[in-house]
Amino acid sequence: MTNSIKNIFKTPNRRNLLKVSGAAVLTTPFVSRAWAATTEINMLAWYGHGEPDIVAEFEAANNVKFVSKYYAGGDNMMALIAQSPPGTYDIILSDGEFVQQLNAAGYVEEMNAADYPFDDMLHDDFTKFPGHWSDGKLYSVMVRGGHLGVSYNKNAISAEEAQSYSCFWKPEIKGKLGHFDWHLPSLGMISLYNGNGSSLWDLDDSAWAAVQENTLSLRPQVGGYFDYGGTFNGLKNGEMLAMCGIGDWITGVLEKDGAPVGSVIPKEGGIQWTESYSIGKGTEKADIVKKFIQYMLSPTGQVKSAQMLAYPGFCITKAGRAALIEADPAEAKRSHQMDGMANEPISLINDGRIHYRDIPKQQSLEDWNDFWSEYKNS
Amino acid sequence: MLIKKIQKINVYAMTWRLPIIVWQLLFFVGPVIFMIAMSFFLVKNYRMTEAFEFVNWSKMFSKNYFWDSYLHTVTIASVSTVFAMIIAFPASFALAFKASEKLRRWAIFLLIIPFFTSYLVRTFSWFVILSENGVVNALLGYIGFGPYTMLNTNFGTLVGYMTLTLPLVVILQTITMASIDRTLIEAARNLGCKPLATIWRVIIPLSKAGLIVAAIFCFILSFGDFVAPFYLGGSQEPTLPILILDTTKSGQQWPRAAVVAIVMMITLFSVAFIGIALAYRKKAKK
Amino acid sequence: MNSKRILNIALGAYVGAIFVFVFAPIVFSVVFSFNSQRFPTIPLGSFSTEWYVKILNDPDIWKAALNSLIVSSSTAVIATVLGFCTAYSDFRYNFRFKGPYIALILLPPTIPLIIMALAMLAWLSKLGISGQLWSVVIAHSVLTAPFAMAIIRLRLNQMDPDLESASWNLGGSEWATMRYVIIPFCKPAIISGLCLAAAVSFDEFAVSWFVSGLNKTLPVVILEIVQGNIDPQVNAIGTFVFFTSMTLVILAQIFFVQRQIKSTKS
Repeated sequence: MTNSIKNIFKTPNRRNLLKVSGAAVLTTPFVSRAWAATTEINMLAWYGHGEPDIVAEFEAANNVKFVSKYYAGGDNMMALIAQSPPGTYDIILSDGEFVQQLNAAGYVEEMNAADYPFDDMLHDDFTKFPGHWSDGKLYSVMVRGGHLGVSYNKNAISAEEAQSYSCFWKPEIKGKLGHFDWHLPSLGMISLYNGNGSSLWDLDDSAWAAVQENTLSLRPQVGGYFDYGGTFNGLKNGEMLAMCGIGDWITGVLEKDGAPVGSVIPKEGGIQWTESYSIGKGTEKADIVKKFIQYMLSPTGQVKSAQMLAYPGFCITKAGRAALIEADPAEAKRSHQMDGMANEPISLINDGRIHYRDIPKQQSLEDWNDFWSEYKNS
Repeated sequence: MLIKKIQKINVYAMTWRLPIIVWQLLFFVGPVIFMIAMSFFLVKNYRMTEAFEFVNWSKMFSKNYFWDSYLHTVTIASVSTVFAMIIAFPASFALAFKASEKLRRWAIFLLIIPFFTSYLVRTFSWFVILSENGVVNALLGYIGFGPYTMLNTNFGTLVGYMTLTLPLVVILQTITMASIDRTLIEAARNLGCKPLATIWRVIIPLSKAGLIVAAIFCFILSFGDFVAPFYLGGSQEPTLPILILDTTKSGQQWPRAAVVAIVMMITLFSVAFIGIALAYRKKAKK
Repeated sequence: MNSKRILNIALGAYVGAIFVFVFAPIVFSVVFSFNSQRFPTIPLGSFSTEWYVKILNDPDIWKAALNSLIVSSSTAVIATVLGFCTAYSDFRYNFRFKGPYIALILLPPTIPLIIMALAMLAWLSKLGISGQLWSVVIAHSVLTAPFAMAIIRLRLNQMDPDLESASWNLGGSEWATMRYVIIPFCKPAIISGLCLAAAVSFDEFAVSWFVSGLNKTLPVVILEIVQGNIDPQVNAIGTFVFFTSMTLVILAQIFFVQRQIKSTKS
């Protein structure tokens, strides 16, 4: 660009002028930043984490720019890292259960526990989440979470029916049950429905066979397998009346938009999704990435996370929750994030009704994947 | 002198001939051959290692879901082709024989427009048009029908395929039929051939090659599209392109995705080959 | 006579119905882009430019638009150069293996994009050049060169073969003939080839999605929004992309098709 500017003064012809003014028009939104040599941070995350509602403020204050690549599902995340050169991603948002795989593959840097508010967490489990520590070293910090259960259209399924996963088999919703297109949450729910309780991921051959059998029996009910976008749309326009494999992270957005949908944790129990930040191996921007993770764990960041446009997640620090109640009581109430409320997320965990999402213990992920493909094709 | 001239000609000729050879070898033949090689690689811990093993082939071929998906994809792409050819025909016929030259040119120009609008965006529009409380069901509601479930069914997938293929099929059919020698049609009429018989016994045989090419294109596009079956068909019975995506997403199984891709390419080439052979087959003498 | 008229009206209505089917999604997309609802349904909400404001204020979308412009213009140049060389070779020379030679350039568009995407990403990462903007340019050039070649080849068909030899007889070298006779003659086709290749590249999402890595183009952003937090920004961007592509196509039309018609008439 500087070259073309020089050229203009040398040979002021119309074409060059057009070229430069064209470039000027196109780059206007960045100009102010471009002068100060903005640092770009490459983020690998679920959809929404690099969008302006989350990062814009931090970007402006620190003169950085997030460049994000979005994935859907932990296997997808691992595949994306594996096919890029080392050091491509500076910051990785991972599902809690995949942190150990990230670490085992050597994709993430060690972190310093003193940098993060571990003494302010709402639940002890959040400070020592499985897989986040290895040999006494920290590799990932939990930043938010949410619960998965029965997500349903209130006009088609009553609140009582929604108290059990058995409502997915309700004849009236034949062809109207959707699946979030990922094996872990859906099969986990069927495993809970089978009464496996806290050993829902630890299935021996007969228990695994029973899960497969019950899943296949659900097939006639199924009206489609969706990514985020499809899940949103399907529930919103009444195309789907219940959805397996999701929770408030989808219905919360729709509820705020006025749709008659909701999510509950049924009597068989629910599943928690957990999102954690790690620093990418080989990054040269570890300092600013650390600062960003601290920001997301600060009360400001926790409120942003709870209000995230793409999908809400609950606060995990006491200060974060207090800030949310202060800043947005309506959202705090909607998501039961107030002490003493029914279905308050932390008490659900304490009551043993919530199981952290995990990877299969006795089968390989490949087995589950294969079965999922078979299920879709049956 | 002579040698010099030959060299000179060669330099000039090669300047024009070589670029595409080099470019396509590097960036078209290269990728395709590498993909074939990749189907023999192994994947461990999400990392691909170069090897020469048949395990991906035996694994995919032993899976029921692969064959179900294959059968389903071939079937629905064939149905789509037949539908597109039949639905397009009356329109192409009208444009070729009833419309003026100018009108025909305009129609073709308008039909090119969809190729330059985002197919994804058009698919997203169908979402809203076809949904349970969408435009179509609202209109049907006025006359006392419906609502019908159209999304997440094979019907939805077919609507998506038609969006992709119908403009192209109409264009190809129209151009083919418009170039038929009119005197032959006149002659058939004068000999007392009825209109439908004229279409069946004169127009279709004369435009056979063009019609088959249109059908081949339609099959290729439907067979390879992942957007319609995923977004409008709800992935109910995933087609092979969806299987490719699922396979790459889940645990870096690129070699297995390559197996699916190669099977797809072999299928497409066979279909195209048979089609072209039919199109240009000399009519057997009676 | 009367029945023939009814038949013609019916056929006309049928053609109309086809056009409604083809254009309904395009029209609705534009309508939804001005609709206030986050999840468009019937009845429509109120008129709103919210989605346009949103995309105009999103630097990521500007970045993607800039990427798309860079990709489509570079693709156009490379594809047209390749297309021209091949078209001219085909026009001028007969040589061995000409069939495979032509197949080499014409084959790529017949291979499903998802397969091209898979093969391209695997190959380009093998060569260590994936995830960059020009990886997309490379892939798109392979996909669009045939279109440029076809259009230039058509134009060359109209050239009097004696024109070239006349120029040589007048003492022009082959290079000079190329420079002063053939390229000027092909100029309209070259320009429309550029526009066409640019338009195809500007709208391609599958291959771009696989090979672009972090350098997203507009269609990839559309795909991500459709996969992710689906909202009518998709329609707003789509409308913008539509008008850009249409401008290119109309330019191609003005430069090539109109002249084509003139020259056939004269």
